[in-house]
Amino acid sequence: MASTISAGRYVGQAVKRLEDPRLLSGHGRYVDDVQLPGMLHVAFVRSNVARGTIVSIDTSAALALPGVRAIYTGADLNPRVGMFWHTMMGPPPELGGQTPYAPLTPLAGGDVRFVGDPIVLIIAENRYIAEDAADLVEVEIDVQQAIVGWETAIDTDQRVHPGTTTNVGQEFPLPEGPEVDALFAGAPHVFTRRFSQCRATNVPMEPRGIIVHYDQYVGDLQIWAATQSVSEWKATSSRLTGVPEHRVKVVANDVGGGFGQKMMMTRDEAAVVMAAHLFGEAPIKWTEDRRESLMAANQGREEIIDVTFAVTDEGVLLGAKVFFWEDIGAYPASAGSTAGMAGAVFPGPYKFPVVLPGGSSVYTNTVGKAAYRGPWMMETVAREQMMDHIAYELGIDPIEIRRRNVIHADDLPYTTCTTMVYDSVTPSETLEQALEMLDVAAFRTMQADARAEGRLLGMGVAIYIEPSAVAFGILSSDQAIMRMDNSGKVIVAMSTGNHGQSLETTIPQIVAEHLGCNIEDVLLVQGNTESSPTGPGTGGSRSAVVAGGAAMNAALKMKDKIVQIAAHMLEASPDDMEVNAGVVSVKGTPAKALPFAMIAPVAYQMPEMLPPGMEMGLEVTARFQPAGQYTWSNATHVCTVEIDPETGMTKILRYIVSEDCGRMVNPMVVEGQIAGGVVQGIGGVLFENMIYDEDGNPLATTFLDYLIPTAPEVPDIEVGHIVTLAPGQTGFKGMGEGGAIAAPPCLANAIHDALRHLGVHPTAFPLGPSQLLTMMNEAKQA
Amino acid sequence: MKPSSFNYHAPTRVEEATALLAEHGDGAKVLAGGQSLVPMLSLRLASFEHLVDLNKVDGLSAIERVNGHLRVGAIVRQAVAEHSADVAASVPLLSKALPHIGHFQIRNRGTVGGSIAHADPASELPAVALALDATIEAAGPGGTRKIAAADFFVSTWQTALADDEILSAVEFPVWGPGSGFAVEELTRRHGDFALAGAVVGVQVSGDTVTKATIGLFGVGPTPLRASAAEAALLSGADAAEAGKVAASHISPVDDIHASGAYRTQVTAVIVRRAIEAALKEARS
Ligand SMILES: Cc1cc2nc3c(=O)[nH]c(=O)nc-3n(C[C@H](O)[C@H](O)[C@H](O)COP(=O)(O)OP(=O)(O)OC[C@H]3O[C@@H](n4cnc5c(N)ncnc54)[C@H](O)[C@@H]3O)c2cc1C
Repeated sequence: MASTISAGRYVGQAVKRLEDPRLLSGHGRYVDDVQLPGMLHVAFVRSNVARGTIVSIDTSAALALPGVRAIYTGADLNPRVGMFWHTMMGPPPELGGQTPYAPLTPLAGGDVRFVGDPIVLIIAENRYIAEDAADLVEVEIDVQQAIVGWETAIDTDQRVHPGTTTNVGQEFPLPEGPEVDALFAGAPHVFTRRFSQCRATNVPMEPRGIIVHYDQYVGDLQIWAATQSVSEWKATSSRLTGVPEHRVKVVANDVGGGFGQKMMMTRDEAAVVMAAHLFGEAPIKWTEDRRESLMAANQGREEIIDVTFAVTDEGVLLGAKVFFWEDIGAYPASAGSTAGMAGAVFPGPYKFPVVLPGGSSVYTNTVGKAAYRGPWMMETVAREQMMDHIAYELGIDPIEIRRRNVIHADDLPYTTCTTMVYDSVTPSETLEQALEMLDVAAFRTMQADARAEGRLLGMGVAIYIEPSAVAFGILSSDQAIMRMDNSGKVIVAMSTGNHGQSLETTIPQIVAEHLGCNIEDVLLVQGNTESSPTGPGTGGSRSAVVAGGAAMNAALKMKDKIVQIAAHMLEASPDDMEVNAGVVSVKGTPAKALPFAMIAPVAYQMPEMLPPGMEMGLEVTARFQPAGQYTWSNATHVCTVEIDPETGMTKILRYIVSEDCGRMVNPMVVEGQIAGGVVQGIGGVLFENMIYDEDGNPLATTFLDYLIPTAPEVPDIEVGHIVTLAPGQTGFKGMGEGGAIAAPPCLANAIHDALRHLGVHPTAFPLGPSQLLTMMNEAKQA
Repeated sequence: MKPSSFNYHAPTRVEEATALLAEHGDGAKVLAGGQSLVPMLSLRLASFEHLVDLNKVDGLSAIERVNGHLRVGAIVRQAVAEHSADVAASVPLLSKALPHIGHFQIRNRGTVGGSIAHADPASELPAVALALDATIEAAGPGGTRKIAAADFFVSTWQTALADDEILSAVEFPVWGPGSGFAVEELTRRHGDFALAGAVVGVQVSGDTVTKATIGLFGVGPTPLRASAAEAALLSGADAAEAGKVAASHISPVDDIHASGAYRTQVTAVIVRRAIEAALKEARS
């Protein structure tokens, strides 16, 4: 389907990324690239057991090693912590907030709670010495049986956090609904399934990293960090150390990914902040190595979802109950379950008369849960697989059952049974576009022919609606501070924390479009608390929508002022002016024109030439606050697979996405975001499994064992676009997470389709070769 | 992930290298391509006071035909062997196995001798050496000795080399006309170590298989010879039967990537597929 929205000079164009020449030639500047005079290096001693009491810590041999400058334990750092909570989540209940946090301390206190728990922080002249010293520290631990797995955590009388009364972090009980019970009791069909996905980890290409210098003479705490939000880190560091917030400076240069892991400061990073504050003498750097990243950086997924659907004979949905169990490890980013969000968006693209959601997040002796690209996506994982299970139970085609329940254009605006209001979404249109791109009939023929030869082909579909740019609390708005300099060049400062989203290109596209200048004359300044406004940073698919809106508003304000000055200089009416490529001219009289470079000096240096009463200078600020709490985008994924019946190996044949993210700032960037998310989704089904043994030992602590998909495992990702504008001025909808949300159930459904005639009905990830062959064997025996 | 400190030695003659090994005993370790050793050092899974680098040692990087064998020097890069016309002509099974090792970047550094000396049970080259009855040449302070591949692989990462010996070359027998070879392996992703793998060589005369060898990797503590399956093949069994026989003689263990039962089941499949491919080549 062709888009009816015409592209502008920049917005809507596949402008090549301005950051790429630097990044692709290896000249990015990540935390580890920052070298400061006198800088020292940090290594941690980490727990090698999942649970136990620390009996003693002997650092004497390590301290005696030449080059070691300081060694801190929990006893040194933990008592010095002022407060440890995150702006985005709000304060904990004991400080008047509502967010349940795990009892966060920078280093382990009297006990260790997961393998990788930081116990001792070493500062040395270089990382080699620091690691040598770490080997010399002797920690005696009285080991206790680890609490591993959410069921164990619920059943045991032992506590992950000693002294607490429960291993449940947060609970949303399934609401009472007698009328729903009655509806289920009278429904023609009621089906129940339990779906689960295995634990994954975010795997940013650049692991965590932080440099902290507390200049005790000046009183400044200066931080360079791999973070998605410098504002968040500034505030957190201030609360941790007691250094007033205006004396904390945080800089994030290039950040090599995060996917949610780098939004909120974690314990290890807090330990470095606290250590630098105590140490005072010199900057200290911690670069997380890959093993630490896989062993100790917060992780995602590991959820179990119980779903019950009531349906008619025709497969029309009557209602659903869903309960989300989350294993949140020992120290999640917050103890809060994402079940609230998952429940709210569970209806997704379908007209559910009623959905009752509940959830429970459970502490275990494993690494804490991170936000990971679409942190609530377990709802789509469960719902979209369930649609196929129901379809097969009823003997209806999975595509047909979706068509019978999906929201259509003429249903809009549509309020879901969970009170979400969709104004401009296109689940039905994307479904049809994706199916057309596949050519379902041709595939079904191919599948039948293949099956006659004993080959196993399958296709899967998944639809979702993405709650982008969630707007509450600090996330409600974003600001742009824009300045045009004497020469007519533009600097726009924002709170964004680009870590792969291409904002260095897309924000200037928006500014250049709406200001009417050339893109190379616009620079985005971000990741620096000294120059950027306070704001939430980049995450939750928000930057195009909210930061993009602010950039547009600032550009329009700036344009307005420029036009007024130019009109005054040209003795014309501002209404008769047009702006193009950095030149303001009188419409129809191109000779009467002024470039920005001649207007800007007037604003700064020639007050007598300004319109009467106009303030000098060319600085504007603008803020954008989305109209709704969510800006909804949507997509349909379709893929086909072939499974080797003798080995259980899955090959993805085609992967198709039809999406609607409203007006696209840059289609190439949109497609890149989709591809990245899809690859992570493929990983979550076929390859990635952050698995622990029963004693809480992580079994995938190197890339030899933690398998992320690589180029040969990933097919071309074919993308189709449907464009319906988001309500509001920009028309942008966020779409950063969707690829990772829909890919897992889409792929699982394709595998299910390939195997169901054999009696194989998978419900649990991973679906690696060993699992699939086992299921095929079992089905054969049954 | 920084290794603990070590003394680095870069001898230029074999005698120097072995003298260093003799001097430092188990405190010393040979460094070849570093593709297995360096990660182990960096993860501090191992540490040695002395590393003896073979990369500058003379006489270890030749590929040559020596009385019915192809002699491959220890530090011949895997990538060099992979692209060598001599290897392709004389020992096609080695040529076919090499591209399965990791990724080309790894093969550019990794050495043929290093892979065999490292003796990872999931590695291709030890299985090739075993299947082809290669001879391993070991150089020690007292001179060189020859070790049959069958005696070389003692257990996981353990070989018959003494602490003061280096592997100096591997001699692969050259098969005559009417032969065919194939490598089949299952990996989770391109370039991963095999969940299970098979290397097969056959020689035929008309419809009769006159010579057969089957090496297995990834399914035991060392590379394995599927001798019973070879015998079955020689006595007229078809590829599927031979595959089943091969699978019935192994008992691989579970790991996070696949169960032992999985490895056993798919061994029958890949052995069958490898035999079929090798026979096809032999008959073409
Ligand atoms: C990402 C990745 C993927 C890989 N995938 C595979 C794969 O699929 N299949 C596979 O087989 N391998 C794989 N490898 C390992 C690779 O093939 C190594 O090159 C090989 O195992 C060791 O060879 P090397 O020359 O690098 O030896 P090194 O790493 O230098 O040494 C390995 C060991 O052998 C000893 N050694 C080396 N040479 C000699 C010698 N001449 N005499 C005595 N001792 C010696 C060393 O002391 C050390 O103990 C992979 C490696 C990586 C990093």
